[in-house]
Amino acid sequence: MTWLKKKWAGLLLLWIFVLAAWQTGALLYGPEVIPGPVETVKGGVELFKDGSLPKYIGISFYRVFSGWALGSLIAIPLGVLIGKVDVIRHFAEPLLNFIRFIPPIAFITLFLVWFGIGEQSKIALILYATLFIVMMNTLTGVLSVEEDKVRAARSMGASEWQIILHVIIPATAPYMFTGVRLAMGTSYMAIVGAEMIASNEGVGYLIWNSRLFFRTDWIFVGLISLGLMGFVTDRLFGWFGRKVLWRYGVVGSTPVRR
Amino acid sequence: MSLASVKPVASKKHTITIEGLNKSYHDHPGSGSGNGDIHYIIKDVDLVIKGGEFFVLLGPSGCGKSTLLNMIAGFISKTSGNLRVGGSDIDKPGRDRAVVFQQADSSLFPWLTVRQNVEFGLKMKKVPKRDRRVVSEQYIDLVGLTGHGDKLPRELSGGMKQRVQLARVLANDPEILLMDEPFGALDAMTRRTMQKELVRIWRQTDKTIVFVTHDIQEAILLGGRIGIMSPGPSSKISHIYDIPLTYPREVSAAEFYEYHSRIQAHFDE
Repeated sequence: MTWLKKKWAGLLLLWIFVLAAWQTGALLYGPEVIPGPVETVKGGVELFKDGSLPKYIGISFYRVFSGWALGSLIAIPLGVLIGKVDVIRHFAEPLLNFIRFIPPIAFITLFLVWFGIGEQSKIALILYATLFIVMMNTLTGVLSVEEDKVRAARSMGASEWQIILHVIIPATAPYMFTGVRLAMGTSYMAIVGAEMIASNEGVGYLIWNSRLFFRTDWIFVGLISLGLMGFVTDRLFGWFGRKVLWRYGVVGSTPVRR
Repeated sequence: MSLASVKPVASKKHTITIEGLNKSYHDHPGSGSGNGDIHYIIKDVDLVIKGGEFFVLLGPSGCGKSTLLNMIAGFISKTSGNLRVGGSDIDKPGRDRAVVFQQADSSLFPWLTVRQNVEFGLKMKKVPKRDRRVVSEQYIDLVGLTGHGDKLPRELSGGMKQRVQLARVLANDPEILLMDEPFGALDAMTRRTMQKELVRIWRQTDKTIVFVTHDIQEAILLGGRIGIMSPGPSSKISHIYDIPLTYPREVSAAEFYEYHSRIQAHFDE
């Protein structure tokens, strides 16, 4: 019990320190440059009351979630395929390592041309941001499955398809999980960029648009919203991993191999 | 009455026949020291292992005994020579030849319970769940893991994990068990227990066992015959010792000590 109290006390102290530093900054530089906690809360309440904040958070989350889920669903089978089939891997690996260094933001204009100004282009962007991270992680996972496991399954009469289904995929689960989790982070980064440049809604739009009114407090509200959205989704996902995938070696906040 | 005493089961058992077996690889010309030479891991191995016998392959590390075992398993292809089990050529793994690996951690499926691990082969064969359960119970009991069926491998000790491996392969009713230093990673006391257990299980199930080890004592404790592999490269089976001692064997017995000294002398030469 005492360590729990200590942990909470530590957290509380940390937050008091952060808020104090923030407030000090605001007092030193004025609310135009650094809006203090109070101004930020006021700005948040304002945005919440006119309904724009919940709407923007909802829209950004919807874009991130659809692109990310779709991207992961495509990337996992592709990663397994590339990892399992040598011929495909020889062709795909250089290409993968070329494309994955092109950041999603760099594609915004092209995606707008290709997929239009609507939701498709944003979801496609998130999908792109997710695809390569999840694929590379899955691929790495497939390549690091112990040979003994595959051999054991094979000598117990498993077909190649059964080996993929019952050995490769479960053994790769921690890698897939890490990939999907990392992709969540890049998805949030990509969506903000896309919404700043080509959108009339979303948290990225809020942050970008606030400059027109010189509402730095609204920018702070946007930043904090992003942080919270990421934090909450990551915690939920981590919890899901621990509860559902623990058998496969997914533990705590960082997946480990057993 | 005389018909009843005939044992058709014994005659059906598969013999492993190895004739002039080679495994070699080429140096890659131009890659530093390589100049296109052929290197033999094992060379001209001749060996017949009879159905139902406990055969031990004994030799120093790196002598190619694991390579030979993996070739019998069908994991590694031969370069030349003959390798037959029960008359048919071996070129791939099969359910008739089960493998028990040295490292249980890398070969067991950690996401499956003990029971699910044991039922793996049957599940691949699409045996109905109820029948699988009957078989897995039987072999979990046989290897002395009664009551541990619902545990995950990570909850078990090293010796227990090797018991799971044994049960997992036995559940598929293979002809031959290929064991690659399965007790090498265990502590001395657990190893002794497992050796006794293996002899018991072998006598109860009547399987053919090919057991790889570098431990002379272990070889004499277990083997009906011991094939000595010469140090690599180009290793072969240099001598085969018959060990006619009765099971269970005692390390302290005078005959045991005699065999030990003879085989030890063989290596000291």
